[in-house]
This record gives sequence, C-alpha cells and structure tokens, in this order.
Amino acid sequence: MKRGKYLAATLLAAAAMAGPAMAQDSEVTIVLSEELDLIDPCMATRSNIGRVVLQNISETLTELDVRGDGGVMPRLAESWELVDENTWRFMLRDGVTFSDGTAFDAGDVVHSFERTQSDANSCEISRYYEGIDMQLTAVDDLTLDIRTDPAQPIMPLLMTLLTIVPSETSMEFTRDPIGTGPYQLTEWNVGQSIRLERRDDYWGEASDVSAATYVFRSEPSVRAAMVQTGEAHIAPSISALEATNPATDFSYPNSETTYLRIDQMTAPFGDVRVRQALNMAIDREAFIGTILPDGSIPAVAVVPPTTLGWNGDLTTVDYDPEGARALLAEAKADGVAVDTEFMVVGRIGNFPGATELYEAITAMLTEAGFNAKLQMVEVAEHEQFYSRPYVEGTPYLIGAQHDNSRGDPVFSMYFKYHSEGRQSGVYDERVDALIDQATAATGDEREALWSELFALLHDEIVSDVLLFHMVGFARVSESISFTPTIATNSSLQLSEIGLE
Amino acid sequence: MKQQIGQRALTSLISLLGLVVLVFFLSRLTGDPAALFLPVDASEEMRQNFRALHGLNDPIVVQFGNYMADLARGDFGESLRRARPALDIVLEAFVWTLQLALITMSLVAVAAIFVGSVAAFTVGSKFDRFASLLSLVGASAPDFWVAILAIVLFSLQLGWLPTSGTGTIWHWIMPVAVLFIRPFGLILQVVRGSMLSALGSPYVKTARAKGVKSKSIIFVHTLRNGMLPVITVMGDQAAALLNGAVVVESIFGFPGVGKLMIDAILQRDFNVILAAIMVTALAIFIMNLLIDLSYALLDPRIRK
Repeated sequence: MKRGKYLAATLLAAAAMAGPAMAQDSEVTIVLSEELDLIDPCMATRSNIGRVVLQNISETLTELDVRGDGGVMPRLAESWELVDENTWRFMLRDGVTFSDGTAFDAGDVVHSFERTQSDANSCEISRYYEGIDMQLTAVDDLTLDIRTDPAQPIMPLLMTLLTIVPSETSMEFTRDPIGTGPYQLTEWNVGQSIRLERRDDYWGEASDVSAATYVFRSEPSVRAAMVQTGEAHIAPSISALEATNPATDFSYPNSETTYLRIDQMTAPFGDVRVRQALNMAIDREAFIGTILPDGSIPAVAVVPPTTLGWNGDLTTVDYDPEGARALLAEAKADGVAVDTEFMVVGRIGNFPGATELYEAITAMLTEAGFNAKLQMVEVAEHEQFYSRPYVEGTPYLIGAQHDNSRGDPVFSMYFKYHSEGRQSGVYDERVDALIDQATAATGDEREALWSELFALLHDEIVSDVLLFHMVGFARVSESISFTPTIATNSSLQLSEIGLE
Repeated sequence: MKQQIGQRALTSLISLLGLVVLVFFLSRLTGDPAALFLPVDASEEMRQNFRALHGLNDPIVVQFGNYMADLARGDFGESLRRARPALDIVLEAFVWTLQLALITMSLVAVAAIFVGSVAAFTVGSKFDRFASLLSLVGASAPDFWVAILAIVLFSLQLGWLPTSGTGTIWHWIMPVAVLFIRPFGLILQVVRGSMLSALGSPYVKTARAKGVKSKSIIFVHTLRNGMLPVITVMGDQAAALLNGAVVVESIFGFPGVGKLMIDAILQRDFNVILAAIMVTALAIFIMNLLIDLSYALLDPRIRK
C-alpha cells in the first residue's frame, strides 16, 4: 500500500512537470474538437480556425457586439459614414502595427479583400461578397472608400468578416498568419498544438492571458476530462452527456438551426396542406430533454432569435397528428398523391443524437399517415442531396443544420429561399421580391422587411419543417472566468478571458 | 536467399502499383472534394476555382497520368486541405505510429513469450489457468472501452497520468498499455499452444530423459522451434498497428497515421489518402521481409 502511494506521488509530481499540457500562471490551454488543417486568416469563418485566428491573430474593421446589443462596433475602423448611396467611407485607426512590425493602412485592407477574391486560393470569406461589385480605394493611409453595386446598406456588418492581412501577404494560403491582433502565432506543432503569445506592441488594451496553447482531441469525453484534470482551461464543445457539472459546464445557443427542407417542386410537397401536415405531425417538445438537451428551442425560422428582424409573433406549430391526417385526407380528395413514398435524408453524426432524432421523426410522420422512410448518409453524400442540382427520383425531405451567428438574415435568406438559391425549395415571387428589397434596405425598414419575410415563409408558404435552435456545451475551468456566447461557435477571443 | 528477396520485392512492387491504381480510381468515385472543403453556400464559381486549382477539372485518365508522372519524380502532390506536400504530412504522422507500434510490439513480445512459455511448462496449474483467462480477456476487450475506462481511472480518479497528448513519457503509458492488451492476449495463446506441442515432441522427451534442466529445455530447445507460428501472428498484429491504431490515436490525441488516413478519406483528401496507403504498404512489405528472414534464421530448412 505504502509503495502504491509512493508511486502515485512520484507520478503526480512528474505529471505536474509535464510541460506544455499543464498550463502555468497566465497561460491558458484550449482543447478543440479537431486538428486545424489551415490557419489562413481568410478561412477564419470556419469554426475551429476562427477560434484561433479571428480577433486573436487577425482583426477586422468592425465587430459585432454579441454580448450586448451594441450592434456593429469599431475595431480597426474608428468610424464610418455613407458618402452616397453606393459608397461607404471608413476612417481607420492610427498607430496600428502588424505582428511583423509593419504599419497598418488602407492599402492593407484593399489587398486583404483582393486576396479573398483571388483564383490562387479558395478563401471562404469571398462568399459573403458574392454578387456584389466592390471597388475598394485607399483615399489616403487612414481613409478607405468602398463603392458597391448594388448598394450595400450593411457594409459595416460585412466588414466584421474581412480579416486584415499585410499587403505583402501572398495570394496562396499562408501558414504564417500575420495580423494586427493582440496575439501572434509562435509555434505550430502539426497535429499536436498551436501556441499564441501576447504582443507587447498591440494597439489596444493588453489582455490578462499571456499565452494560449490550443490542442486537439476528437473524443468529447476526453475534452471534458482535460478541463477536469487541469490539463486544459476551456473545451468549447463537449457533449450534453458530459455536461453534468454546474460549476464548470455552460450551455449556450450555438447559432445552429436544425430543419427539414421541403422541395416544393416535387410531389406531394407542392400542396400547402401536405406541408402543414408535415409540421403538425412532429412532436417537437418530446425531443427536448430526451434526445436533445434542455435549452434547445423549437424553431420558427432558419436563423436564431438573436438575428435582425426576428419575428416574435410567430409560434411553433402544435403537435396534432389527427389534424395532420385530416389535412392529408383533404388533399387526397383533391387528387394530391399523398401516398407517394419519400425519404427523410439525415446526415450521420451531424450533431449528437442526429440518427435517433431522424428515426423518431420518420416514425412520427408514418404515424400521421405519410409514407416516409429514413436514409442516413455521410457528409459528402448529404451535400449532393442538400445543394443544387437536387437528387432526382424519389422525393425527399433533407434534414440539415444551418449556422447564422452573424446578426443579419442576409447571410441565410438568398441561398435558402430565393428561387435561385443554391439550397432553396421555395419558388415564390413574393419571397424573391422581399429578399431583394430587404437586402437593399437599411435601418427600421430592413428590420421590418426581414420580419415580414419570416412571417410569409412560416405562416403562408410553410417553407420547411423547422425543428430546433440548438445549444452547445462548453466546459470552463473554475480557475478562469469566461462565459461562452453564441459567438463561441466561431470565435473565442482570448482577451475576454479573465484570470482569477 | 538473395533471389528470394528480389522476387519478393518485385511482387510487392507490382501489388503496390495495383493498389495505387485501385485507390486512385476508387477514391475519385466517392465524390467531389470541393463540396466538402468549401462551405455549403459557396458559389459554383468558387467550386470551379477550387477544382481548377487542384487539377480536378481534367478527365480522370489525364489526372491519373499526371499523378503517375509526378509520382515517378517522387512528388506525391499537395494535400487539398492543408496546402502542404502530402508526403510530408504522412511521414510526420507515420513516425508517431511507428514509435507506438515498436514500443508496443517489443513489450508484447517479451511479456507474451515469457508468460506463454511458463504457462505451457506448468500446464494445468493455477498460473496456466490465470494466463489463459488473461489471454481471453485481452483478446476480446474493445480498445475504445478500455481507453475511456483507463482515462476515467488513471486521470480523473487517481490523477496519476495525463488524459491524452504527447510530450512526456507519462503520455505514452496509457496508449501503449491499451494497444498492448489485444496482441498480448492473442500471442500469449499462440505461444502457449505452440510450446505445448513442442514440449510433447520426441526431442524434448529425449532431452528430459537425458536429465537436461527445465529452464534449458524451455529456453534453448523448445522456444526456437515453437517460434515460427508466433512470429506469423506477431507479424499480423504489428501490421495492424502500423496501419494505424485509429481508435487509440483518436482518443489519446496521438497524431498518428491511422487517424490521418481516416480523416483524409472522410475529407476526400486524395493525395494524402494515396501517400498514406503507399507509406504504410511499404512499411508492411519491409516488415514481412524481416519476418521471412527471421524464419530463415530460426529454421535452417527454409534457408535452402
């Protein structure tokens, strides 16, 4: 027995000296779910890359206030104004330097934008500027004009996504990201860890955390265990199953919405009664606290409630299998082929409990009189069902998740609901017109138009079987203070971490 | 002997080529990597650009021709996702797997041969029965479950070992221990059986009759003759480890080739898939060659 204790003590002492895995003083360790394949600033909208790069290494001209309701806030731009309908002018911050020592100016912004549009890479950020003819001009070192066609009323919001790199950065993907952010990349052990260290010459306030190490573990229980044993301080995504300790485990809306898309062009989904019946056939409440964690909210739109123009008047469709059956009978009497067999297509491993959720939904649909069968597919196959050109043959409803934490429906509505949208199942002139108007509108008008669109899609068109706004779970060590928000899904600012 | 090795190398090269052709075409049948690399709302233009950037727009036969031409120059291409040469990525990962496999198999060899021999020599004893039970449990324990259990016990409850990762010797203990269990169980059983039949053979009876000591009978006379089947099974087990211990690597955050290969397949990272398969196939070929050589060392009949 004595010997056992001695061994334990020796091992413990050794483990304490174990180096990088054990953080000391003002350093934190963050455990991510998968290895980073790239660390290029123009890929920062991808969740794990964003958690490392976005606003730690790189900065944007503006940032969205996700903790309060401050809207779009200044970052590298101090202020902005509309010069004419098509032109925005951004006044840039003076005295900012990149981590390589060069000074930040308007030319860097121009280059950063051009880089996202280059054929020499496949930068993700470019998709946010798609369909917009954009001319960026450096008026002087600290003044930038952005001229667009068509007019972009939300240009300050669009600038929350453009990560700024120095004008020397090559067009190809870089493995050495240089930014104006509070931290710089000092080490990348491929497959194992990434280390960021605080910059002394950062323009803004110095943060508490002097260095951060990011490690990668694919197993959620291991990520949770690492915070518990003190090997890590933050695990931004653990499973609901692990999130049992109220002192360290947080649930937060993760900006994902789960839904089944209905393609109105395929029978029997062209009939609105069939679409209503689909919605009435599903007992949403039954999933919460069982297959899905408490805190999941039945959805009334494809974007989360934090989005501009959120329509508080919309209500979830009540569970009513009898009503669904009656509607189906009515449609059948009018000659709609309601007996047509269709597939419910779900993606394996899309979120915890995905297979069970789609199994239960298929059973509920069958119960209400539909001829549904389940087809779970892996990610690449799912993509073929999800985006145009759609798979022909058997009609199907596709189960998917959509992420919008960016504050404005513009990042969702065109490609989800416009007749030409890549993932749209709606073909309606009123919808197209509303999307076009809202995209071009500003202020209260914009908010009202989006709100109107949500109501039209939900009440009249019945565009989807909307399911849930999802929650994620994070484990945070008691030795630091950090509260996850809806933004934690795509960025995790070290400057927001307090040390106790 | 040299001729044998030469022949073996030639047939292996042919199989390797066949493997490359098969994997090249099969992997390209699985779908478009642009759909996985780019976000769902990426435009058709972005997709076209991605494909053009990686030469995926050419007809598949042209792609194959280009690939083989590059390969002939020793160029395994770039990873579609990581913007790095595929071979570099694979070799970095392979070094980790190789270390894990070497350490584990050395420990397995020593432990299984020792325990198995003693069990065979004391057949029917308590030790023998215990060894058989151990072997059965070892051969059938699912490594996923054992790994999680080990983390709960040694990291969370006792706080003796780090949960995962690399860096110190302590980080290696659990992965090696978990990987050790199955081959140990299997090989222990083979050693015991093989030794038992060797112990029953006429030359051992003669040795006993002559009054040769037990230790000497086990370690000098029987072991060498009982080793051939053991080496075969050890080769299989080592090959499985070289192929990557996917589950163990994933759980313990070991950046090995098994996890890399699975990720590359799921992401349709074609060049990484091909490079990983070629590197592991080559390693397994070399290992099989070593096994053949050790056969020859153990059994003079094979040398001729």
